[in-house]
Order: sequence, then C-alpha cells, then structure tokens
Amino acid sequence: MSIVKVSQLGKTFRLKQKAPGLWGSLQAVWRPVMQEITAVHNVSFSLEEGEMLAFIGPNGAGKSTTIKMLAGILHPSQGQASVLGYTPWQQRRQMAYHIGSVFGQKPQLWYHLPAEDTFRLFARIYELDMKQYQERRDFLVEAFEIGHLLQTPVRKLSLGQRMKCEIAASLLHRPRVIFLDEPTIGLDVIAKQQIREAIRTLNASENTTIFLTSHDAGDVESLCRRVIVINHGRIIFDDRTSVLKRQFLRRKIIDVRFAEPLEEPFALPGATVLKQGSYGVKLEFDNRTLPVEQVIQQLMATKPCTDINVSDPAMEEIIREIYQEE
Amino acid sequence: MSKLHTLALKYGAITAINLQNQLAYIWDAFHRAFFIVVVMFIFTQLWTAVFQAQGVAVINGLTLANTIWYFLVAEMIEMGKFRHDLTISEEVKDGSIAYTLVRPYNYLAYHFFNGLGETVVKMGILFVAGSLVCYYYAGPPTAQLSHLPAVFFSLILAILLDFCFLSMIGLLAFVTEDTGSFRLIYQKLIFILGGLLIPIDFLPDWLQTIARALPFAAITYAPAKLFVAFSWAEFGQLLTGQLVWLVLAGGLLYAQYRWAARRLLVNGG
Repeated sequence: MSIVKVSQLGKTFRLKQKAPGLWGSLQAVWRPVMQEITAVHNVSFSLEEGEMLAFIGPNGAGKSTTIKMLAGILHPSQGQASVLGYTPWQQRRQMAYHIGSVFGQKPQLWYHLPAEDTFRLFARIYELDMKQYQERRDFLVEAFEIGHLLQTPVRKLSLGQRMKCEIAASLLHRPRVIFLDEPTIGLDVIAKQQIREAIRTLNASENTTIFLTSHDAGDVESLCRRVIVINHGRIIFDDRTSVLKRQFLRRKIIDVRFAEPLEEPFALPGATVLKQGSYGVKLEFDNRTLPVEQVIQQLMATKPCTDINVSDPAMEEIIREIYQEE
Repeated sequence: MSKLHTLALKYGAITAINLQNQLAYIWDAFHRAFFIVVVMFIFTQLWTAVFQAQGVAVINGLTLANTIWYFLVAEMIEMGKFRHDLTISEEVKDGSIAYTLVRPYNYLAYHFFNGLGETVVKMGILFVAGSLVCYYYAGPPTAQLSHLPAVFFSLILAILLDFCFLSMIGLLAFVTEDTGSFRLIYQKLIFILGGLLIPIDFLPDWLQTIARALPFAAITYAPAKLFVAFSWAEFGQLLTGQLVWLVLAGGLLYAQYRWAARRLLVNGG
C-alpha cells in the first residue's frame, strides 16, 4: 500500500521584483512588480512503506518546496498529497506524531543546552512515556554513536557530532516516514558514513520510509534503490538508482598531480583532457568503456603521481545528460 | 495518563527548557540586574526633583514613593517581557520554522509557554535588583498582601495581551519581509500611552481618557498602578479593560493565524 501519494502537486510563489539601487527600492515601494514563480509543477509519484527514495536535483529545483508541502509547512497551489492517509497541510498536528524531518542546514537543538535536554523536551512534545523514551534514546544513542555527546552543550559539538544528535532528535518518536533534507551537508566522510549506516539500520529494523534529498551522490547510491530527479519543478527521471547510474553516472573525472613536470601534451585514448598544467592533468572518461583502474595504471606509468582524485560529475552534469538523452 | 495531564507535561516542558536556557545565560542576568539598578536610580533622581519642584507630597493620587515603585513594575514588564515576535521572524528568515511549525503542539501556545520560561526569570531578576534601589530611596512598597493575588492576576492578563499583540506583529513575518517597523511603533505606543514614560495619572485629562481606553494601558499601566495604589474600584475598571482587549486581540490573532498559515513563504533551501 502506498504510504505517500502525490498527484499533480504544484506551488507557485509571487515574488516582489526590485531594480538595483536606491531608486529601484523606491519604485518597488511605490509600484511593486510581482513575478509569478513556479517552484513545483505537476509533480506526481508514490512511495511504498519501507521504501528509501532519493529526491535529487540542482539548487532551486523544487526539492525543498516539495518536502515542505509534504511535511505540512507550505500549502500547495494545486494538486493533492497524502502522507500516511493525512493531508499534510490540513492535518498537520495529527500527522506530526508519525513523521520526522531533518533539515540539514537548520538547527533544532537548543544551542546552549546539552542535546539530552532537547531530547527530553521532544519526549514530552510527542507524548512519549518516560520508559518508551529511554528505550528509544538508548537505541538511537547506539545507532548514531552519540552516547558521549549527550551531556555536552550543543554549541561545543563539532558539526558532524551535532548533526548526528539533530537527526537522532527527529527520530525519538518513531516516525514511520522520515523526510531528510540534505542530512549530510558539510560533513566529513566518516560522519557521512555513520549517518548513512544509522539510517540503513533504522530502515531495516523498523521498515521506516525514507524520503531523502541530497547533493551527495554517495548518499543516494548507498541508501536509495529509487531516485527521482527534479529540475525546474518537474520530474525528469523516476526509476531505480542502478538505472540512473548505468545511464547517467557513467562518467568519471580524474584529477592528477605528478611529481615531475610533463614534457609533452598528455593524451589517453578514450579520455578527454579537461585541463592540463605542467604538473597536473584533469581527465573525463566513460567508466564503461574505460575502467577507472586502467586510467590510473596509465597515469602511474606516465610519471610518478603525488595525488589522484576520482570524482563524479556534478549533479548539474547528470541532469544535462538526462536532458540530452531525451 | 489523562489528556489534560499530557498537555500539562507538554507545555510545562516547553516552559522548563527556556527556564534552563536562561540559566545558561547567567551573565546576561547580571547585566540586566545592573541595568535596572541604573534605570531606577535615574528615575528616582528625576521624580524626586519633580516632586520637590512642585512642592507637593501627592500628585494626582500618587506619592513619590508610589511613583518610584510604579516605575519599577512598569519597567519590569517592559524589559522582562519575551520577544517572541523576533523569534518568529527569525524562524521565518532562517527557515527553522520548518521544524517549529510541524510539531504536535499549537504553534502560538508553544511560543507563549516557551516565552513564559524566559519571562519568569527575567522579571524575577529585574524586580529583585530594582527593589533594592526603590527600597533605599522610597521605603517598602505600600501594597497589602491581600491585594497581591489580584495584582498578580492583572499582570498575567497583561502578559497575555502583550503576547497577542507581539504575536500579530511576529506573524506578519509570514507575509512581509521585515516586521521591525511595526514593532517600533508598538513599542513607542506602549511608551507614551501605556504609562511607561509617565504614569497615566499625570497626563492631561483628555489624554488620560484616551490612554485608558486604549489597550496599551492594559499592558504596562494596569499592573503597575494596582501594585502601588490598589482599590477594588480601579481593579474592576482596569480588569474589564484588560479582558475586553484580550478577547478582541485574541480573536484577531486567531483569524490572522489562520490567514497567515496559508500564505507562509519559507526562505532558503
């Protein structure tokens, strides 16, 4: 049975436009020019219980607006949605007991108090009894490895430590659906991995439905079997992650620094040279026809390497490829 | 657990966390205590000079000692009240309203009980520290113990009424970019017509009539006046004003909240 159903959902904003400078400001007061902006347009999809869905797209694509409508914060301009049978923006409070949300760029823990104080507050707000709360807290403390952090004022925690506590706080009331909006933004590799691991545990042990937005291809690949790509407020891809990877994440970028200067222009059949300096080169290639290991072997054979960096193309590149495919 | 008990625990916890938070800012408390001592010292000097210049012991029913204690209560209310209008507009600006709006509580009640935790600490400190100055210059307050519950009740209504007005200003942040100007106007009205600059009893008759009819007097003037010169007749009058304005402002706030919630624009991300 679908636990989240969205059909034809749309949101338009009216934004005040202002010409630059003081004169522009005066004009905007006298005669404001309003511009209609469509943030989300005719978005439809559904989610099964226990599914982990990645909702990705470039900045300003409408990801957060969609999440905010599903969490009940924004009223849509058109269309319907139901989350656990509730209409989010009409039955916000009833729904709140069963959903959890994490907004990676926004704090919810009390800054000057230890995280556990906020945890206790949430236990009251979500009407947990103390025994329930303690069990749950112990479970989350283990999943996120935050046992040693709970008594420290939040302002003294590192970003990674804080984020783990932030996410745990959103899960205290055992939400059946979790909206994660950029949960790993700005974190180091280890913190990212711990958070992904904890989310996976939660999904496996409680069949929690996860709705994730992220700019991090790693989050998407390691957590979600299904991906929706949204751009300019429209869904442009909705399929399994493996399909996205096979079709669009096949390009890799390698950035190399050599210990000695290159005497002649670097060339490797099958790879495009994006940039070349005397000590370094940046290559792009198709991972299917030219495996990464082969490229690295070639590079190491050319000159001794001091640094090699393999990366995926940016989200924008992937989206451009999806468009080109169509 | 009964429904009522659950609710009491919920909103009680919301009050308690801000109480804890205030204690984390203990230096802030000292700073505030110092400030009220300075303010009360200045007021004391100023009004002593006024009473001397007039050469009278009582002006429109208030003695010098009454006037000094009056200002302590008025300043305590003004400086000790919580500024959740700022919190709301911050929440809209930085987007953290995405968290605070979707929890299972009433959003406005959340802000009220949260602010209560702050205001209890603030007003407590202001009153205790300011009392030292007042006691030194004006002697003990003349309020009778038996009247204090009534004064306290009027203080609670004042806090509620102020909460309604500041909520309306705060909720404007849902639809407009900046609420600072509304806040400024409101503050100035309290200052002049609310009896914070000068007790309303000292205003010219025509202005007194206007000021007494407006809600600003119900916020600062009412509790302060009842504390220094209590009479059941005036209590009845001021309380009626407070209740009427509370019903009006509460109704307006409710309508505005329903209207604004549909129009919320959240910044960022």
